[in-house]
Amino acid sequence: MSVDLDQTPRSLLVCERSSFCDENNRVSSQVEQLHFNYKVSVLLSDCSSAPSHLESLLTSFSHFYLVRNLPLHELLDKQFLETAVYQGNVYGLSYRTRLDEDNCVALMPNGHLVLSLDKDSFQVLGFEGKTSTFNYKTKNRYVVTVDLTDGSMAPGRQAYLRLLTGLTSRLPLQMDFLLSHHPGGGASLQALLSRYIWSEHKPEVGTCSLTHLPCPDLQSCDPHGLLEWLGAVDANISRDNSSSSFLSSLVCPEPKRTVSRALRISICGLLLPHDVQRLIQELRCYLGQCQPESWVSLTVHGFVDSPVSWGGKEHGVLRGGENFYTLFIFHDHTYHLHLAAGAQDTCPP
Amino acid sequence: MRRDEEKGEAAVFQRVVLKNASPYHYMKVCLVLEDESTKLSAVELKQFIITGLKTLYGEVGAALNFDLLKYDEDTFTAVLRVYSKWLVKLWSSLTLNGFYQNQACAFRVLQVSPFLLALSGNSRELQLD
Repeated sequence: MSVDLDQTPRSLLVCERSSFCDENNRVSSQVEQLHFNYKVSVLLSDCSSAPSHLESLLTSFSHFYLVRNLPLHELLDKQFLETAVYQGNVYGLSYRTRLDEDNCVALMPNGHLVLSLDKDSFQVLGFEGKTSTFNYKTKNRYVVTVDLTDGSMAPGRQAYLRLLTGLTSRLPLQMDFLLSHHPGGGASLQALLSRYIWSEHKPEVGTCSLTHLPCPDLQSCDPHGLLEWLGAVDANISRDNSSSSFLSSLVCPEPKRTVSRALRISICGLLLPHDVQRLIQELRCYLGQCQPESWVSLTVHGFVDSPVSWGGKEHGVLRGGENFYTLFIFHDHTYHLHLAAGAQDTCPP
Repeated sequence: MRRDEEKGEAAVFQRVVLKNASPYHYMKVCLVLEDESTKLSAVELKQFIITGLKTLYGEVGAALNFDLLKYDEDTFTAVLRVYSKWLVKLWSSLTLNGFYQNQACAFRVLQVSPFLLALSGNSRELQLD
């Protein structure tokens, strides 16, 4: 029995080191593969206020829309398919649905519609799907994946009509839905938005200046200690505990140095990989003008309740649904990339 | 812990995959009290959790080391850090801890993760209303 009490669900941490000067570096493709991002946190060393270029970029992040009580069959509407899905780069995710309890839906930029359904809903829907990769002893979670751009799902075809009938009469799901798209991508969501209650939101940006920040040696610190330190900075947790403190023994990993000033920026909302790529480019430009010992960290959190994670692979929630990555960028164009995934995730790319 | 290494041709690229390598787990918990006007300091909260561990697991349980990283006295929300091998014992003692100074109480475990960073990026906190 004591052996079982020691066990915890599997977690994965992928640590990569390379340089942006290497043509084969995969940062760009890895960023692109995490479609549904909730939060981006940036930590700039030796910086007290956001440079103007960075500030203007943060305010230019793509807006997103919240559609209330959207019937799911509307995602199969012919006009929506033609004006949005077929144009590509439309991102959709069900809002306030819990992946371990409710039915969740995601619309990926490549036109794939993913429905993560409980057993009853899947059986009522009556469409092809497969059991969740993360079903253990009982099959209580099913995933239906449909390529809306495929010929067999063109309006009027048999498979399209079967799914449409399923979502209209057998399982008329309605849920709040987050939608976004690239501004210059050619897609238009107006046809869909005009029929339902919707609101436009822009990502919420917050900044905080930090002084006398104890900082570990980023090159030699072990990955978990480094991520713990960064998590403490992000959550305003004190790292100045003496060894005799009753409450906490959390300290900054040794060896450490003190950074006189740092800037913490956070952006929350439905954030697109395209905007994250632009942010990384801007941070690299900013770093090129800084001291040689300066560095930047960027953490991107994926949505906990998204049915897909990196590269459209299935994502689940066991005790937690963490799927995030942290990128440390240095002045000499080298980087450290840490990708973290939980028990119900495949290995990050 | 399992490590798989791949090295690029120019020895610039390095990739390591760590499985179950986090020594700690982090919990965000919230204490719900029957009398909401009760005041509870960080020290009192930690002592209360230790008492719960002792009740369920005895002296050995009371000796389990955990850290109270952050505490908000207004919302009774705390972030705890515990060694991964002791997570189940700590969590179970929180679950079964039902009384604080003769009033009913309950611990709500809001989030558990082997990464502290994940606790500050929980999309379930997204409020658009």
